[in-house]
Amino acid sequence: MEVTRQIYWNIGHGVVIPMYILAFAAFGVMGWGFWQRLPIWRQGKALNRFDRYDERVKRMLSEVFSQSKIFRVTDGGIFHSIFFWSFLVLFAGTMLVMIQADFFTPVLNVNLLSGEFYKGFSLILDIAGILALVMLAGLFIRRFIIKPKGLEIVKDDYIVLQLLFAILITGFLIEGARMAATEMQQNPALAAFSPGGLLAGQLFATMSSGTQLVAHKILWWLHFALVLGFFCAIPYTKLRHILTTSANAFLAPFEPKGAIATINMEDDTVEQFGAAAITDLTWKDIFDADACTSCKRCQDRCPAATTDKPLSPMKIVKQIGELAEGNPTGNLIETVSQDALWSCTTCRACQDVCPANIEHVNKILEMRRNLTLMEGAFPGDEVKTAVNNIEVNGNPFGLAYAARGDWAEGLELKTMEQDSDVDILYFVGCYASFDRRNQAIARNFVTICNAAGIKVGILGKEEKCCGEPVRKLGNEYLYQMTAAENIELIKAYNVKKIVATCPHCFNTLARDYKDLGLDVPVEHYSTYINDLLDANRLKLTPEPFSYTYHDSCYLGRYMDIIDQPRAILSQAGGAIREMDKNGYDSFCCSAGGGRIIAEEKLGSKISEVRIKMATDTGAPLLISNCPFCLTMFEDGIKTGGAEGQLQVRDLAEIVAERIAS
Amino acid sequence: MKLLVCIKQVPDLESRFKPNTEGVWYNETDLAFRMNEYDEYAVEQAVQLREKLGDGTELTVLSIGPDRVVEAIKKSLAMGCDNAVHVQDSAASSKDPWQISSIISAYVKDKGFDIIFTGMQSQDRGSAQVGVTVAEQLGMACTTTIIGFEYDNGTVTAKRELEGGIKAAVKLKTPALVTCQLGLNTPRYPTLPNIMKAKKKEITAIAVGDLLKEAALATTTSFHPPAKKGGGIVLEGDVGELVDKVIALLKDKTAVLR
Repeated sequence: MEVTRQIYWNIGHGVVIPMYILAFAAFGVMGWGFWQRLPIWRQGKALNRFDRYDERVKRMLSEVFSQSKIFRVTDGGIFHSIFFWSFLVLFAGTMLVMIQADFFTPVLNVNLLSGEFYKGFSLILDIAGILALVMLAGLFIRRFIIKPKGLEIVKDDYIVLQLLFAILITGFLIEGARMAATEMQQNPALAAFSPGGLLAGQLFATMSSGTQLVAHKILWWLHFALVLGFFCAIPYTKLRHILTTSANAFLAPFEPKGAIATINMEDDTVEQFGAAAITDLTWKDIFDADACTSCKRCQDRCPAATTDKPLSPMKIVKQIGELAEGNPTGNLIETVSQDALWSCTTCRACQDVCPANIEHVNKILEMRRNLTLMEGAFPGDEVKTAVNNIEVNGNPFGLAYAARGDWAEGLELKTMEQDSDVDILYFVGCYASFDRRNQAIARNFVTICNAAGIKVGILGKEEKCCGEPVRKLGNEYLYQMTAAENIELIKAYNVKKIVATCPHCFNTLARDYKDLGLDVPVEHYSTYINDLLDANRLKLTPEPFSYTYHDSCYLGRYMDIIDQPRAILSQAGGAIREMDKNGYDSFCCSAGGGRIIAEEKLGSKISEVRIKMATDTGAPLLISNCPFCLTMFEDGIKTGGAEGQLQVRDLAEIVAERIAS
Repeated sequence: MKLLVCIKQVPDLESRFKPNTEGVWYNETDLAFRMNEYDEYAVEQAVQLREKLGDGTELTVLSIGPDRVVEAIKKSLAMGCDNAVHVQDSAASSKDPWQISSIISAYVKDKGFDIIFTGMQSQDRGSAQVGVTVAEQLGMACTTTIIGFEYDNGTVTAKRELEGGIKAAVKLKTPALVTCQLGLNTPRYPTLPNIMKAKKKEITAIAVGDLLKEAALATTTSFHPPAKKGGGIVLEGDVGELVDKVIALLKDKTAVLR
């Protein structure tokens, strides 16, 4: 006779009906728990996250089952992923037993769980159970003994960990009791395929067979009760993330990264702009709070949080959830605090690393919009001055707009007004136009284009700030005003392609201006130069140098341009020494989110922290690709005491010096 | 109660100024325009009073100039003025302060304004005469360079800034005119709902010819950058050595010791 196992052994088939009734009751409790949360989520504004259904389902299944976002961060992530897969195997195994017992056997009269298949099944499930226990122990040690900085311990953690331990341990104990009474005596060879059960069985081996049977029955019911408890606890504890975090992989936006809702300025019936209360946020913003697992990965990577500023992206998500549940009419901005909101550099590190697809940045921007558009508030007087300067002169420095093209003096370069028949329009941006250090980027970029035989045009004094800093500070009105002027101009010149050296201009023109009607291909100079090299239109004479490279947030995380600048620098002769935080994990220079025009008054200086990371590589040269970064790093090198040790240069400077003659 | 605030649109001081072809004022090409800084204080103070007095109070903003001044008017409306008067004059910059104040007085004459706010002076011409002349022409009480303002039941209490950091407090019975100085307040940044509302507020256009009957009293004869001079030298050190240095310089650079 083939080996198998008698399902409902010692329990009896009489248990089937009460078991299903109790199981459905537990699902009912779970469903009821989520049902009760619906009105909380529904307090938010409407937002369609149920379109493109197939893609959403696909993304959800892929993210959940691959656990890719979880183990991207190994600390905690490895334990969670392996635990998840193990638990999944156990769950699938239990389902298979259920199907066998209540469908295959009574209806089809076949036994799948027999012979070699049963041996394999038994072994895999036992291994999964052991792995799950080990991973759970790892998670327990991490949370309660190692206690990583910032990881909070709340009531839920005790409940959830105890419950999971108890379920897994009672599972092995039932198996042990059953095996002690059956396999271990009758078929020890088969028992070897249940190593966990065999181990647990030792506890019962010396008991009388009557005691074994009673113990087994008690354990079975205990295990069953615990599993029911698990389902009931899902909506009421952190376990809810099993559903909510998975759901967030379905609900995540399909818009390009960094897309912000463009406010319709023509609609004069709207009287509330931005978010002053949770009801001004979308339902998804509130739901995000339920999807948050408090893993604090966002907080660990936040440049503001790690330099002692009063901002934690996680805390903001939590605060929104607390208000939505307990005090829906409460003052959202007071709860979060203005200092926290203004501290954000919109670097997107939080959102990028979040395993729960939470959208932190736009929540902050919505609250900033309220501060700016409804209150006329600014993070400081210097910002108010800079914003006024943008209004009057189209640049934050307040310098004469007519001087915007002066940097090009002596170069072979015409304005579009003089000659609009060009290969590319170079959108220079405020910093490369007016800031002396950054003018080198503009001049070198034009030199590179000239060497490659590209005819470049600039808007000169007609160009205005792209509006990015003010938009990120919440001033959608001024952004749209300046953007509209730029767009009208660009359209009038029939531009074929735009290249920007500033990633902030690049993001804004390429993505945000589309909403306002600009439909011209926009590129960043890093990909543009890389293509010129690939096409052999530009040739370099490599000279060896050692460097470390800073991925600007708006190029790397926002636009996925990570390899191309490195490829260029490698062709130029560079040998890279990466900082720990590079690529998608890059650490902001401090200037994003409009912070470029604000003084950094709280905590320590972000730029100095980044400079320290650069000097730690031992490379004498830090190469950046963004005028804001260059500005912050020149400053950080001086104030951080790295002068003589580290030099910061722009990609364009390095390339221009190595153009093959 | 009726309030008036008079504003001027001026070029941003960072702009590049070039004399116009007549050489009597600046060429407007390549200039960025904004509201005169002192007038922003005047608007802010007027709006604060308007908000304090509430309904039944009307705050009008007035500006003289070409079409571009509507931008400054709109900003005042967005800051909280109720309505606006635009005295259309494409040659406002050629008018002297007497003519400008006469235009304002001609408009204000029979309107019954209780308090008029103006900037202390304009950032471009800087005559500081328009406000006081309007008060004189209309027989209103007037005080200048205020850095503090309170109003209660027909009386304005103003704090003034005088030369050398001296402060003065004055009381005026309405109707009164005050000219506003830096330090009076921090002008607000208009909120978006107020910008939207401002778009619907009325701007009455009046041709300058309907108001101006006066000839200029002063004529600008020349507008030019100051002649370039050599830089100054600061001498430091021992007195004996300094004397020698001064003598050497006087011999070298001037004719006094020759």
